[in-house]
Amino acid sequence: MLETTVRASERRHGARNLPQTDEDGLYEIRLESLGGFGAHLAGKMLAEAAVLQMGLNGAHFSSYGSEKKGSPIKSFVRLAAADAAVRTSAPVERPFVVAVFIDHLLNDPAVLSGLRAGGILLVNTAQSPQEIRDRLDFHHDTVACLDATTIALEEKTRVNTAMQGALAAMIPFLDVAAVREVLASTFARKNASIIDGNLRTFDRGAAELRVDRREPAAAGRSVVDVPPQWGYLDAPIGGVVADPGNTVTKNLSGSRAGYIPVFHADKCIHCGLCDLVCPDNCLSWDIVRHADESWDTRLRGVDYRYCKGCRACVDACPSGAMTAERETPGFADAHTVPLDWSPRVVNGGRLHEPG
Amino acid sequence: MDGAHQGLIDYPNDVELAQKTAFLSGNECAAQAASHVDFHVMGYFPITPSTEIAQILDEKFAAGEHTTTLIPADGEHGAAGICYGASLGGGRVLNATSANGLLYAIEQLPVQAGTRAPMVLNLVTRAVSGPLDILCDHSDLYYTLNTGWLVLMARDPQAVYDMNLIAVRLGEHLDVRLPVIVASDGFFTSHQKRRVEVFADPAALRETFLVRTEAPYHALDPRNPITFGPYMNDPDMINNKYQLHRAMQAAMRELPKLFEEYAAISGRHYPLVESYHADDAEVVLFLLNSAAETAKDAVDRLRAKGVKVGIVSPNVLRPFPLDQIREALGGAKVVVIGDRADSYGASGGNMTHEVRSALLDSLGHPPLIVSRVYGLGGKAFTVTDAEAFFELGLEALAKGKVAVPFDYYGVTPGTTSKKPERLVPPLTKEEVSTELVKVRPNPETGKLDVELPPFWALAARPKRLVPGHGACPGCGMFPVLDQVFKSLEGDIVVLFHTGCAMVVTTGFPFSAHRVTYIHNLFQNGAATLSGLVEMYHQRVARGELPASDDITFVMISGDGGMDIGMGPALGTAHRNHRMMIIEYDNQGYMNTGSQMSYSTPLGHRTSTSHVGKREEGKRFHHKDTVQLMAATHMPYVFSALEGHPADLMRKVAKAQWYANNEGMVYGKILSFCPLNWGTPEDDGANEMHQAVDSCFFPLYEVEHGKTTITHDPDVLGTRVPLADWLRKMAKTKHLLEPEHRHVLAGLEAEVERRWRRIKAMHAHPDL
Repeated sequence: MLETTVRASERRHGARNLPQTDEDGLYEIRLESLGGFGAHLAGKMLAEAAVLQMGLNGAHFSSYGSEKKGSPIKSFVRLAAADAAVRTSAPVERPFVVAVFIDHLLNDPAVLSGLRAGGILLVNTAQSPQEIRDRLDFHHDTVACLDATTIALEEKTRVNTAMQGALAAMIPFLDVAAVREVLASTFARKNASIIDGNLRTFDRGAAELRVDRREPAAAGRSVVDVPPQWGYLDAPIGGVVADPGNTVTKNLSGSRAGYIPVFHADKCIHCGLCDLVCPDNCLSWDIVRHADESWDTRLRGVDYRYCKGCRACVDACPSGAMTAERETPGFADAHTVPLDWSPRVVNGGRLHEPG
Repeated sequence: MDGAHQGLIDYPNDVELAQKTAFLSGNECAAQAASHVDFHVMGYFPITPSTEIAQILDEKFAAGEHTTTLIPADGEHGAAGICYGASLGGGRVLNATSANGLLYAIEQLPVQAGTRAPMVLNLVTRAVSGPLDILCDHSDLYYTLNTGWLVLMARDPQAVYDMNLIAVRLGEHLDVRLPVIVASDGFFTSHQKRRVEVFADPAALRETFLVRTEAPYHALDPRNPITFGPYMNDPDMINNKYQLHRAMQAAMRELPKLFEEYAAISGRHYPLVESYHADDAEVVLFLLNSAAETAKDAVDRLRAKGVKVGIVSPNVLRPFPLDQIREALGGAKVVVIGDRADSYGASGGNMTHEVRSALLDSLGHPPLIVSRVYGLGGKAFTVTDAEAFFELGLEALAKGKVAVPFDYYGVTPGTTSKKPERLVPPLTKEEVSTELVKVRPNPETGKLDVELPPFWALAARPKRLVPGHGACPGCGMFPVLDQVFKSLEGDIVVLFHTGCAMVVTTGFPFSAHRVTYIHNLFQNGAATLSGLVEMYHQRVARGELPASDDITFVMISGDGGMDIGMGPALGTAHRNHRMMIIEYDNQGYMNTGSQMSYSTPLGHRTSTSHVGKREEGKRFHHKDTVQLMAATHMPYVFSALEGHPADLMRKVAKAQWYANNEGMVYGKILSFCPLNWGTPEDDGANEMHQAVDSCFFPLYEVEHGKTTITHDPDVLGTRVPLADWLRKMAKTKHLLEPEHRHVLAGLEAEVERRWRRIKAMHAHPDL
């Protein structure tokens, strides 16, 4: 926690105003990310710089569900003039800035929910602003792109620091030096050896932005309110799940952080060791029945919809049939071997002795 | 009095004590205030969202910022007991809890109020379970209204800091002598950082505002012995309660004086009841805590259009500021009361009824009342929602009557045509009866023989847990569950304690369980499953259910559930119900952010056992749950490791046989957490071998009282020093540093002592 000691009589509140606010006197920012990418920390540092270094009023918080890595997370920054009150504690619905920390989150149009006319969309992507505009059919306001993932890999840092540099540069009234100072002091407390790399990452985040500014839209994006799947008329009473097993409808590919296990059928000895260590039950096995009425099992591949890229299977494999590779676009969809849930009965059958 | 002129954060320039600006959340403010008070003792048990308060205080303790003795209890009931005992000792006491934690402790609350032992409890409000919801509402708060505790309301982080200081003084006033709750909203306040002012010099604060009022008597003065808690029936009890009532009246007298005194040193003045533009308002909204702050933006929006609206919100709930509320609402034509919890069947939450009764004594015509339950279980309350509430009031004003006096706000109807549809078919009897794992009693040895198939054959067994769950990448718990389920034949019913495995597999409306699954909170899972087991046998005996199903009942718990749930687990074990308890032990409360559990070994770093100049990680040795359960003399107890799958599966297969034929079994399986152990996602399993080969976690079983080591590193020549394991994990590598070597030595000695004991038991059939 950064603290600035001031006597009540020397307080400097009232010094700073904001050039742009909503009807409640607030300037709001929403960060869209997944758990483990540091969006919460990035938002916290921005707000801390605004409040403690620049003397603005402000608030910071994040959406909170399960604390698991890879779960969707939103982080909210709310700023106000130094002498203006920040009173609402509700999530940000109509932001001036939306920053998307992971490119594929753009596949859900709700990430743009409520973006104000004249607002800023910042995306961590290798794509150009025009490509992002085409993907979203979004042709007004400002789109800024930053390949934060590549910067983070090159500097051996994290995406959030590069995004922070970009945000500090994009938001006109933020004092870049103040944000940089909070960053430096935060890392100084944690681990001084990584300050330089993080400051370089921050600076590159600001320098390598590709910005496309256009006329403000006639109106802001509408607020997307996703209703619950079930209501009080149709949800079974007692909060039971009457169709258990329905997590198979999920796609957790977004949890993979760059690496993917690749199955090489020619090297597989079908020993079953990978199946003992996979936390996500995403390996596809067939039961093969032989002419002598014995049976055995064969690994066919990975159902990548559920694979989170932990590579425990790679580690467990004794024959080199599983290798960890950098994931390339389209690979998972092309190579996924879907699990099937039809009944599989082996009761009383004889095991086939591997010849 | 109008909040526009008498705002909560008002900064006159002539305050007495120096302050500094900080950017803190509600929980950080509670911890900051506690650190400034320097309480004598804090007893606590982690529960979201209040957990952070103890975590931050532990971190501050490690850094030398305060001297409070922090006691991690075995559950909230235990924590309440620790606090009660500490309070009777005459010093200052703190606790923090939420939701079911509060309810688990609640029978202690009237005990403490009735025997007049002050303390401060931060209640970070959260929905009470059934089903489990970790987010904010006031259903826990409303349970406290009849406990005899004072209840101060903290509407934002600044108020959390301020009310925590004021609470200390209020509770220990000699005319009051009552414990105090400081209630703030979970997440909306507890996890939201705001600009706040805190005192710059805690020592100066303690020498002025926080000077301690000595208790009239306490339990630590042998020269003045006192009997606390006699047994008291009629005719005395009613007088005891009348004394409590008079203490509440005294608190009502003293609180405004304290607020004045606090304003003088801080520049922040709190009225008993906060009124924002309510003076001339025709429609007034009555709300508690953060929602009242949010609604102020709506007032400003409507006032800008000339609409006469306002807000009234109390800063204290107990004692209830009846006169001030009546005065604040007296001029309104319509009052809209929002309750963030229902009093089911009473046509309005508790605030509706209390405010309505306050208004019955109004001079003139009482206002119309619109009552709405809103914001349950974390549902956000936005400025737009506040505008909608005012709209309800304005409608009533226009029509001169209230169309719907009571309702819920913000519910979703759904449709009547939709029905849940199974995407994954239930397992058939043929599928689950694989006969892959064979268990036979061996009359010669008196033990069970197990025949396991090759691992590849077990890949044919249909998964009882389907993919799509939300665990972290590389989670160690799911391979454990998979290996357990692979070893079990036939139909099973599972009960999961609260914990990671429960949360990530069953986020409504999803469930990853293909078999029948029950959750109960982790203080009571074993008892719950034992009840189901006996119902099963009853219904089979009555011919209502087929005997052929032969269901195996399996409870899954983390090590946290075996702390808070130890009592019912031991009771269930002694009753010897036919069921299994499988514990995945990842050495901490990982689901709530890596707090220490009793299974955390000495010196390990967790979020409640920091490493700093005053603290060296966990302060006491890891709990030996296997031996505790073995001491109940149940038929079968084992320890196992995912990295030794054949050993694990053999033991689980035996466990199933005993559970179906003789009685209760228990197994502890060490499981890693890459996130909180600080190990790579793909390497945690490898390092676990060293937990076994260092003899920290011996693999053994106790079968009908006979102990057998199933993997002896001394015999196999695989033994490694404990340090080899500890240096690989971020949570323990500090133990290798010279300054912490004595802690490592202490852990090594304990590990060796326990290992030799197991070896002796292995060698001697009578042990």
